[in-house]
Amino acid sequence: MADKPRVAIFDFTGCEGCELNQLNFEDQLLDILAHVDIVEWREAMDGQVDEYDIAFVEGSLSTPDCINRINEIRRKTKVLVALGACAVQGGVNGMKNTRPIDEVRQEVYGDDKYLFPTLPALALSSVVKVDYNVRGCPMTQIEFLKVFTSLVMGKEPIEPDHSVCVDCKLKENECVYEKGMICLGPVTRAGCDAHCPSFGQYCTGCRGLVSHPNLKGMEEILVEHGLSVDEAWKRLELYNANELEGVRP
Amino acid sequence: MVQFYLEGDRISEFVAHLMKQKPVYAPHRKGQKSFSFEKTENAEDVVLDYVRTMHSIKKYFLPPREELLHFDLTKNESDPVEIPMSEAVFLGVHSYDLAAVGRLDYNFTVGSPEKNYLTRRQNAIFIGVSFEPDKFHFSGSVGIRPEDSTGCDIFLTKLFDGYVLEILTDKGQELMEGLNLPAHDAGKPATGHFHQHIFVPQAKLSEVMEHSYDNPVWEETAGKCVGCGTCNLVCPTCYCFNVEENVDITATKGSRERHWDGCMLREFSEVAGGEVFRETLAARQRHRIFRKFKYISDQTGQPWCVGCGRCTTYCTAGISIVSIVNRLIGDYERAAVAPV
Amino acid sequence: MNLSELKTPAELEDLYHPVMAEIKEVKRLSAMETYYRVELPGGEDLGHMPGQFVELSIFGVGEAPFSISSSPTLKGSFELGVRRAGMLTDVLLRQQPGTKIGIRGPFGNGIDVEKFKGKDVLIIAGGIGLVPMRSMINYVIDNRDQFGKLIICYGSKSDQDLLFTDELAQWEKDPAIDYHVTVDQGSDSWQGNTGVITTLIPGLDLDLANTVCCICGPPVMYRFALLSLKSKGFADENIYMSLERRMKCGVGKCGHCQINHSYVCQDGPVYHYPDIKSMQEAL
Ligand SMILES: Cc1cc2nc3c(=O)[nH]c(=O)nc-3n(C[C@H](O)[C@H](O)[C@H](O)COP(=O)(O)OP(=O)(O)OC[C@H]3O[C@@H](n4cnc5c(N)ncnc54)[C@H](O)[C@@H]3O)c2cc1C
Ligand code: SF4
Ligand code: SF4
Ligand code: FES
Repeated sequence: MADKPRVAIFDFTGCEGCELNQLNFEDQLLDILAHVDIVEWREAMDGQVDEYDIAFVEGSLSTPDCINRINEIRRKTKVLVALGACAVQGGVNGMKNTRPIDEVRQEVYGDDKYLFPTLPALALSSVVKVDYNVRGCPMTQIEFLKVFTSLVMGKEPIEPDHSVCVDCKLKENECVYEKGMICLGPVTRAGCDAHCPSFGQYCTGCRGLVSHPNLKGMEEILVEHGLSVDEAWKRLELYNANELEGVRP
Repeated sequence: MVQFYLEGDRISEFVAHLMKQKPVYAPHRKGQKSFSFEKTENAEDVVLDYVRTMHSIKKYFLPPREELLHFDLTKNESDPVEIPMSEAVFLGVHSYDLAAVGRLDYNFTVGSPEKNYLTRRQNAIFIGVSFEPDKFHFSGSVGIRPEDSTGCDIFLTKLFDGYVLEILTDKGQELMEGLNLPAHDAGKPATGHFHQHIFVPQAKLSEVMEHSYDNPVWEETAGKCVGCGTCNLVCPTCYCFNVEENVDITATKGSRERHWDGCMLREFSEVAGGEVFRETLAARQRHRIFRKFKYISDQTGQPWCVGCGRCTTYCTAGISIVSIVNRLIGDYERAAVAPV
Repeated sequence: MNLSELKTPAELEDLYHPVMAEIKEVKRLSAMETYYRVELPGGEDLGHMPGQFVELSIFGVGEAPFSISSSPTLKGSFELGVRRAGMLTDVLLRQQPGTKIGIRGPFGNGIDVEKFKGKDVLIIAGGIGLVPMRSMINYVIDNRDQFGKLIICYGSKSDQDLLFTDELAQWEKDPAIDYHVTVDQGSDSWQGNTGVITTLIPGLDLDLANTVCCICGPPVMYRFALLSLKSKGFADENIYMSLERRMKCGVGKCGHCQINHSYVCQDGPVYHYPDIKSMQEAL
C-alpha cells in the first residue's frame, strides 16, 4: 500500500456506544492505525481537513444542522461508511418517529420546544449516499474489522443478507425459543455471529432486517409465541421504525 | 452374532473403555432442553437415551465451517490445509443419522470424489443406539426403523434397564476386547411406534412430486415461512456450502473458508447484477422438498430425507415437512380419482 | 455406495486448491469488459473444449466462474473476457500482466463438437455471451474442413459495448462466414442494424436439415431466440444452449448451480435443448 487511505471519523446523534475508542479494539488498534492516516476525529484531535478517502460516521440525523454537516462530509469523502444501528437505520432513535414529531418535542423540551428544531431521527442513507454499513447496536466489531480490511485491500465489502438464525445454527446454539424467549433472529440480518443468542439472550433485531423479510410470517411467529399483534410490531419497530413506517397493517 | 447385556449402571464403564482406545463423540445435554454430539471428556456426561441432537454427526465429516486453504498475501501463495482423519468412535448414533451419512457418502463420491469429506469420513467407527420416536420422528416412513443397525460396528438396543449390545463387525469386536459383559440370550424388545407417517413409498412419491410442481401448498407454506434457513442448516442430508475469504486485520494472510449454506436463503441463487433464480419463498420451499423426494431420488431410488424430524422441530414457524408431503399425496390422489 | 472401492482419500486430488497461473496480457474490450490472456505454469495447455469454464481466484478477494474464450486450437495460454460485476471482477480489473491468479478447471460440459461436425454452425450470442461462443467460433474457423458454413448472429446493447471488435471486423470480411450484428441502441456513427438480436433470425438463409445452433446470452434472451428459431422451422434437436447460474465449487458439490435436478457445473453449462425443455426452471 503506497499511500495510506486518509480516514475521518464523525458522530451524530447516538449513545456514543459505537465510538471507536470505546470498543475493545486493544488487540487490533495498532494494526488498524498502521493501515491508515486518521486526519479528522472529533474525539481525539482538533482541526478540519478538506478531503478524505474514507469517512466513518456514527449516529442518526436529528437536527437541520446534522443535515448540513452530513452533506459536507459526503462532499469531502470518497467512501462513506455508516457505523452502528443509529447511522444505518436510524436506530432506537427511530422509535420516536412512530409518533408525531411535535408531540415528542413537547415531551422532551416542554415549552422550550421552539428552541430545538429537531427532526425525526433519520438514517444517514435517507439524506446522502452511504457506500457501506457496519450494523449493530453497538456496532458489530467483527463486521467493522471485515469492512475495514476490505477497504484497505481495495475490495468491496459484502453485506450478508441471510438471517441471524443461520449463524446461530452454525454454532449449534440451543434456540432461545426453546427457553421460552422470543427472538427476532429469523428476520434479522446476520453478521454478528449470533452474538446475543450465543450468550443465551434473544435477538432484538439491532442489525436491521434482511432484504426481503416476510413480516406477516414473523408477526405470526411472535403471536404464536404469546405476543399480541401490537407487541409484535413494537418489537420489530424497535430498530426498524424507519423501514417499517407505513408497513404495519 | 453374539449379544451381550450392558447393564444400566455399567454404561459409564463401557464409555470409559472406549475412551481409553479412541476419541469418543457422543450425545451430551446442551442448554435446557437440547442435546448435541460432543467430544466426550467425562464418561458420565454421555446421554444415550436422548431424543435428537440439533446437528447430526454430519458436522464431523462436513464441518459447519472449514478452511479449504491458507494464503499468504505478501507472497501470493497458498497452502492446502491438513485434513485430520477421524480415527474416532461415534457413539449413540440413531439409525436415521447413519442413513444420512450414507446419503452424504453418495454426494461426496459421485462425479469428483471430495478429499476433504472422505478423509474425515474414512476411519469412523459407529456405535448405534435404538430410539423412541417422539412426535416429530417419521423415519419409519422412509424405511429406517429405530432398531435398524445398518452401517454400525456395534448396536445398542434399549431395554428397561440398560441395553442389548450386538457386535456387528471386526472393528466392533476389537473395540470390545477387554470388557467382559454377560451374554444376552433373550430376544430384543420391540421398539416404539411412530406418531407421524408419510403414507406412500418413495417410488410413488416420485410420481406425486412429478405432478406437484404447481400445487398451491407452496404458496400457502410461503405465507408462513420467514426464509430463515434453519430447516436447511439442521438437516443431516443437506450438504450445500458457500465459500468466503477471511483476511486477518494485517491484510497479509488469511484463509478460504467454506460454511454450510441453504437453498431457503434468497442469496443462495443470487448472481452479480441482482438476478435471483429462486426469488420467491414458494419456489425455494418447492426446491427444498423436491431435493428431498425427487431430484436425487429419481436417480438413486432413495428418498434424500431420512425422517429425523429436525426441520419441523426447529422451524419457529411450525412448518411440517410431513404435512406438506401428505398434502401433496392427498391432492394427487384426489385428482387421480376425479372424473376428467 | 461402498467407500472401500474408492481410491484412498490420500490419493485423491484436492478439488479446491488452484494452480497459480500468470496473466500475460490485459486489454480493455469496452467500458465494462476486459480481456485477459493467461498462462499455466510451464505453458501447459488447459485442455478444454469450447463452452467450458474455469474458476478464477484472487487470494483474499474471492473466486468465480469464467468461460474460456479462446479456442482449444490456441496453444500455450488461454483467454478470458470479464465483465466488471462485483467484488472479484472489480479487483481483477486492476491486475497487470505478470500477476499470478488462481485457476481451477476446466470444468463443465463443453460443446459436443462432434455433433456439429459436417454441419452448418449457427451461433447466437447476446452481450457477454460472445465470450464463450468465441471459443467455438474460432474452433470452427481453425478446423474449417470439418464444418459447413459458419453463421454468426451477435447482439449488443450499443456499438460501444461490442466486444473483440478486431475479430468482428475479420469475421465480417471473411467470405466463408455469414456474419450479422445488431445493437439495441446505436450511437450517431453506427451504420449497422438496430434492434434486439432476434430481429436478425428471420432473415437468415439456413439449410434447416443440416444446421446446428448454439445460443448464449442474458437470461431473457433464450426464450425469444427459441421462438424465432422455431418460427423459422428450426428443430429442437439441433439447438444447444449455454446457461448461467450462481456457482461456488464448480465440481458438483456446493449445490448453488442447481436447476431442478441438474447441476449446471456438471451437466452444463452447455445443454442440448431437448434435455432441458421439460425442466421448469431452466429457461
Ligand atoms: C458458467 C459461467 C460462465 C461465466 N462466464 C463469464 C465470462 O466469461 N465473463 C464474465 O464476465 N462473467 C462470466 N460469468 C459470470 C461471472 O461468474 C460473474 O460475473 C462473477 O461471479 C461475478 O463475481 P464478483 O465477485 O465480481 O461479483 P459479486 O456480485 O461480488 O459475486 C460474489 C460471488 O457470487 C457468485 N456469483 C455472482 N454472480 C455470479 C454469476 N453470474 N454466475 C456465477 N456465480 C456468480 C460468485 O461466486 C462470486 O464470486 C460466468 C458465470 C458462469 C456460471
Ligand atoms: S435463538 Fe434466535 S437466532 Fe438463534 S436459531 Fe433461535 S430464533 Fe434463530
Ligand atoms: S425453518 Fe421454517 S421458517 Fe425457516 S426457512 Fe425453514 S420452513 Fe421457513
Ligand atoms: S457450482 Fe457447486 S455444485 Fe455446481
